[in-house]
Amino acid sequence: MNFFDGDFRRGAASAIPIFIGYFTASTAFGLLARGAGLSGWQSILFSATNLTGAAQFLAINLIASGAFPLEIVFSIFLINLRYFLMTASLLTKVRYKNSLEKYLTAFAVTDEVFSVAMVDGGNVNVRFMAGLQSTSWSGWVLGTVAGFFAGTFLSPALSAAMQVALFALFAALLVPEIKKYRLVAFLTALCAALLNTFFYYVLTFSAGWSLAIAMILASLAATIFLSRQNALKKSPVEREFCNHG
Amino acid sequence: MAVIIGGAIVNYLIRVAPVVLAKGRKMPPFLATFLNIMPVAALGALIFPGIIESFPDKPSAGIIGVAVAALVSCFADGLVFPVVAAIAASWFTIRFF
Repeated sequence: MNFFDGDFRRGAASAIPIFIGYFTASTAFGLLARGAGLSGWQSILFSATNLTGAAQFLAINLIASGAFPLEIVFSIFLINLRYFLMTASLLTKVRYKNSLEKYLTAFAVTDEVFSVAMVDGGNVNVRFMAGLQSTSWSGWVLGTVAGFFAGTFLSPALSAAMQVALFALFAALLVPEIKKYRLVAFLTALCAALLNTFFYYVLTFSAGWSLAIAMILASLAATIFLSRQNALKKSPVEREFCNHG
Repeated sequence: MAVIIGGAIVNYLIRVAPVVLAKGRKMPPFLATFLNIMPVAALGALIFPGIIESFPDKPSAGIIGVAVAALVSCFADGLVFPVVAAIAASWFTIRFF
């Protein structure tokens, strides 16, 4: 069978909503990058090699305000520490055949790619990941091109409304998880959202730290709860969560 | 340019580190459960408060969009339909309210 059939195609199809979300978000990035004085090639190179949402927007803001490159790169590091957890999590889910596959898919691990791959019920192998990641990557790069060169071709109301796409995607990924795992999943998500809000607004952590710590604490609480339950009896929920063979 | 290249290197190192660290080791059950439930926590934290921050002028447009996406995905499989419905709902809120 051809590499681009079957699972590759299924991965690419799963990435269509990501493509839409990325294209619209990176259109905004292209516009901002031009405003900050980057050339077209630099903007495209930035999106193609970094492939990250919040950190690229932050970097553009910092470049525009004249911050030192080292300071900007360190901010990118803090915001994106969560990818570490995501790659680690994907190692338990994706059916990798060799190390090379792991090194290649690591390049394009993002919030959305991770979420779609983790909740997929089918055979998640490297072909699926290749379809999913190349489609997502294309959306991010093509949107940057469109934003930089085409400028404002959307009405202001529509381009503002497009911002909801990524969050709608997150919600649409979360709902089936809650349906499947009920209260545990709902409380974990709620707990993470509340912690993130608290860290960001009350303790004024940076967006990256706030997200990473909220994710870790909420998952840790859920894991401790599930492990304790596990000691008493196996419920279907945590049999599923603890299933990693 | 230094930022672009530095960012690319840092991003790849973060993403590839677990592959290098996990080499030839078996995942302890507690860690595996932790990593399995991580996406659920991630999704909750990614939605909120980011949705408020993305609509500084009109947070209601963002919240309505996400609510519509959640509602639609209760009844429809797949991701395209909830996302398109959410964009429409947000646009409607911005345009007419």
